[in-house]
Amino acid sequence: MNTYVSPWIGAILEIKSSGITDVGLKREGNEDSYSIEDSLGLYIVADGMGGHLAGEIASKISVEMINKVFRKWIDKDAGDKEIFGQPDSSLSRKGNFILGGIRLANRVIYELALEKEEYHGMGTTVVVLLVTPSLVIAANVGDSRIYMVRDGEIERLSRDHSIVAEQVEMGMMTKEEAENSPLRHVLTRNLGSSEEVDPEIFEIEPANNDRFILCSDGLTDLVTDTELLNMSENEPDPGALCSNLIDIVLKRGAHDNATIISVDLTDIHKPKNGIFKNLGFFIEDMIISVKRNIKKIIH
Amino acid sequence: MARLILMFNKQVVKEYPLMKESVTIGRNEENTIHINNLAVSGYHARIDAAGNDFILTDLQSTNGTFINDKRVVSHKLSHGDNIIVGKHVILFVGTGAEAGEDKPAGPKTDLDRTMMLDTAKQKELLAKQKESTQVTEASGKIGVISFIEGADVGEVELKKKLTKIGKADTSEIRLSGLFMPATAATISRRPSGYVITTMGGKIKVNGEVLKDSVALKDFDTIEVGKVKFQFYQRETSEKQG
Repeated sequence: MNTYVSPWIGAILEIKSSGITDVGLKREGNEDSYSIEDSLGLYIVADGMGGHLAGEIASKISVEMINKVFRKWIDKDAGDKEIFGQPDSSLSRKGNFILGGIRLANRVIYELALEKEEYHGMGTTVVVLLVTPSLVIAANVGDSRIYMVRDGEIERLSRDHSIVAEQVEMGMMTKEEAENSPLRHVLTRNLGSSEEVDPEIFEIEPANNDRFILCSDGLTDLVTDTELLNMSENEPDPGALCSNLIDIVLKRGAHDNATIISVDLTDIHKPKNGIFKNLGFFIEDMIISVKRNIKKIIH
Repeated sequence: MARLILMFNKQVVKEYPLMKESVTIGRNEENTIHINNLAVSGYHARIDAAGNDFILTDLQSTNGTFINDKRVVSHKLSHGDNIIVGKHVILFVGTGAEAGEDKPAGPKTDLDRTMMLDTAKQKELLAKQKESTQVTEASGKIGVISFIEGADVGEVELKKKLTKIGKADTSEIRLSGLFMPATAATISRRPSGYVITTMGGKIKVNGEVLKDSVALKDFDTIEVGKVKFQFYQRETSEKQG
């Protein structure tokens, strides 16, 4: 388990994180990839698909590419024109870095799949979490998920891109039917199958004691959201939570690779909005109104 | 039971169980699967039960019927086949798959494996068919806050994923007032909908003091200090990310 105290300007963020991946009991290889970058506050899980080693390669590329370009863009404080693709005005700057990173990874996997026959048809899901003292960004493509556990409740911060999830959203299928549907693993979006990709991105404010769980469907096929919440509430240590969850997956047959990352925000110190700051605003307001009145008098 | 899933623009339109001996697809309303689109012929194709199998036949349609990327006249359907009719895709879900049996014939699909709908191939194919079609734009809803009292802002669309309300320059919605915090509250768009969270300001939702956060419903009234506004969602033609 890692503990990281991030020295952000004017704020401190203390993070505890842990990650684990398991091949499971039925698969020969592990096509999942993940990364933990506490210094960036960046966490990624990808679940690859495609024969031979292609799935493993696709998931690895997506994790490495997003990490690499995100760090590069952060370091040079990249402008809109420097990131990959058209920026999305509904997102923050960092949200656009993640969007650009996912798009770039998609393009690289797509082109590699076209180029080499053994890579034809490869693809991957991806979930990306960024935590900063003032913003949490959750992005996903495919059916890997990000959960937030806050104040005894669990909430998904990702949206599954699968046929059944879309049917549930449209009210054509119940959640129970979706869980048992033969189509539950058919994705409508992934990285690598087309030139462009449209990731889902959400931005929220962090709160003390937030826990985020990133995972591939090897976990969520076998563990329900409620079970995940209960296990999370009973285990304050992120490393122990991850290994408890893998134990359950293995007990239940582990038909797929499973990957889990738990990210806990143990402490956020934000600059306080104290009496002096309010006084500052008050003076600022007065100066602005005096200026306005002077202008009026001059005109 | 075998099923057909009608899809358009990657969205599921409708699901049809294959209950009858024969199912027809076409623009005419008498068809079992009625697709009101100019790229589709009046009676475009049919599917007939033959023992445990289903046979697709193209009814000499103008634009043809495709299975995956091949134009076909008749074809024995296998689980996972994409039947392409104009710009619509009909996914065939076989019975063997449903019951979890292993079918000896046809390409076997491991349902525990994640698969991708082959949209790239579909796109290529569809680009070739430049028929005039009625495209229904996918529309979504966008949250709006409408000011009632205390601020002269009118209506503001919540275009950002995270909207900050407060005194700071970086707030999407800037409110003034002596005791207004830099960020009083935030409204975030989440998979489940819009959620308002207090960031230290005194916020009331429908008259009740907000402790942490709450999901917003249409016409909820929100008070931030002396400022009062209402939340609702309206249709937008803009594509949502």
